[in-house]
Amino acid sequence: MEYSAGEPRTSTTVGNVAEPNGRLSRQDRGGSVLGQVGGRAPAPNTAGAEVVLQAVDFHLHYPGMHALKGISLEVPASQITAVIGPSGCGKSTFLRSLNRMNDRIPGITTLGRVLFRGLDIYGPSVDPVALRRRIGMVFQRPVVFPMSIFENVAYGARIHRLDRTSAGMWARVERCLGDAGLWDEVKDRLRQPAGDLSGGQQQRLVIARALAVDPEVILLDEPTSAIDPVATGRIEDTLVRLAERFTIVIVTHNLQQAARVSQRTVFFLGGQLVEVGPTEEVFSRPRDQRTEAYLTGRFG
Amino acid sequence: MRTPVRRRVGNTVMVTLAWLAVGVALFPLLDMALLVTRHALPALRWHVLTTVTQGLSGGVANAIAGSLLLVGLAAAMAIPVGVLGGTYVAERRGGAFVRGVRLAADVLAGVPSIAVGYFGYIALVQALGWGFSALAGSLALALLMLPYVVRTTDYAVSAVSDDLREASLALGADHTTTVRRVVLRAALPGILTGVMLGTGVAVGETAPLIYTASWSSFMPTAHLTHSPVAYLTYVVWTYIDQPFASAHALAYAAAFLLMVAVLALNVAARWAIRQRSSGGGGA
Repeated sequence: MEYSAGEPRTSTTVGNVAEPNGRLSRQDRGGSVLGQVGGRAPAPNTAGAEVVLQAVDFHLHYPGMHALKGISLEVPASQITAVIGPSGCGKSTFLRSLNRMNDRIPGITTLGRVLFRGLDIYGPSVDPVALRRRIGMVFQRPVVFPMSIFENVAYGARIHRLDRTSAGMWARVERCLGDAGLWDEVKDRLRQPAGDLSGGQQQRLVIARALAVDPEVILLDEPTSAIDPVATGRIEDTLVRLAERFTIVIVTHNLQQAARVSQRTVFFLGGQLVEVGPTEEVFSRPRDQRTEAYLTGRFG
Repeated sequence: MRTPVRRRVGNTVMVTLAWLAVGVALFPLLDMALLVTRHALPALRWHVLTTVTQGLSGGVANAIAGSLLLVGLAAAMAIPVGVLGGTYVAERRGGAFVRGVRLAADVLAGVPSIAVGYFGYIALVQALGWGFSALAGSLALALLMLPYVVRTTDYAVSAVSDDLREASLALGADHTTTVRRVVLRAALPGILTGVMLGTGVAVGETAPLIYTASWSSFMPTAHLTHSPVAYLTYVVWTYIDQPFASAHALAYAAAFLLMVAVLALNVAARWAIRQRSSGGGGA
């Protein structure tokens, strides 16, 4: 698939420059990262926060459809960024552009850049397979693999050979299930098929599975839209806890969810980014009247 | 309120017709199964299973061993090729090559088995000089099995939800790893079904073996070429025409064994399908 790199039209505002030695090449898969995020205190807004992901005038075309029209956005580290907007506004497409999941769709073209720690992920030296290990993704419907609970979590770590010993693997599985708030519920039945879990449990298992490959960023595409309210609450609690150590971007239809969990909110409409700011401000004093119209339920 | 009566009459007529059709379809099967079983049970003695044929009497041990050898070798050839080929075709998703392979598999499935036998005779027995042999016979059987295995694997792999592939890719797994560790696992019951149905077809074939394996009154040997092999369908086909009760008894015994083998394979295939619907969620 070909990507037109394009001229960054807003390049003067970009602080980071893509490193010439793309460290997302295949050789680097299990190795050092471009600088870990962990351990930083969560910053309330972008001011001073480290930028992990940055879209720069990013366009995406499906065959016959201009789906993303010049998106520019900075995603700060160790925060939850919520992306809201009506159906078909491009928010899921944008999310899938951040770890190149859209590569699978035939006929798409992109223009502009998406920088991950300063490196253009659409650059020629970037291996999307290695990229996706660093930028994990959780989908709308909980999709567990047809294997045991333990093997679901261990899957990524096994294929990337992250643990040499079985003790290490056990520790990893326990840690990730704990981080996802699922350990106490499944610790006695790790060898049972993951398909036996409830929908909410399956989605937390999927989150644990994503954590197990030591990602820096976790993208979530409407992770609770197929889940009941109680299970949704558990997942939200999990996300808030995880935001201390991971950078999280969540696409959601649920405005209350965005208000509950996120520090920053982004509003998409018709393939364009209409407004971005601290969640409190976007919800209480939206600057754009289209944002206000959406938040007050006049469309969407 | 005239319609309910008309509807009830129409309903009764249609249900009756449906039951009649079921009866017409099932009668020959049940009749044949009963006939074979009735004649085979008195003939099935222990020595029939343990001794080789002597002229038109004796046992069918050589044919049982030969059938197992031929079908085993055919499965060993057709299953790896068919599963890999079917998986490739399903994962490639479209394109001229994929359409070509699917067409070829469908055509091969429609080729009369006697034509495959004749091809085996000319190409394998004569041109390659293998003689009447287990190798020539099993290769001919493998050709008949192959399209079943390819197409059922193709269907099973294509039916695996794309969500499952995306979930694996999102963890930084490459396509090959995803197929090997997730997709094939989810498709396994469907693949097993095709493998067992294909094997059932191979067990019941006569025509491709007549020209390639020929017949032997001895137990099969380790020589895979230049050594004719016995098989059960030959006993049915030939001995039923002989004017001797001992020959008829052997023919029915062989037919009964074949029926049981095919039934067992079908039951196993159904069991595999049930595993798909109950176990392994997410697929």
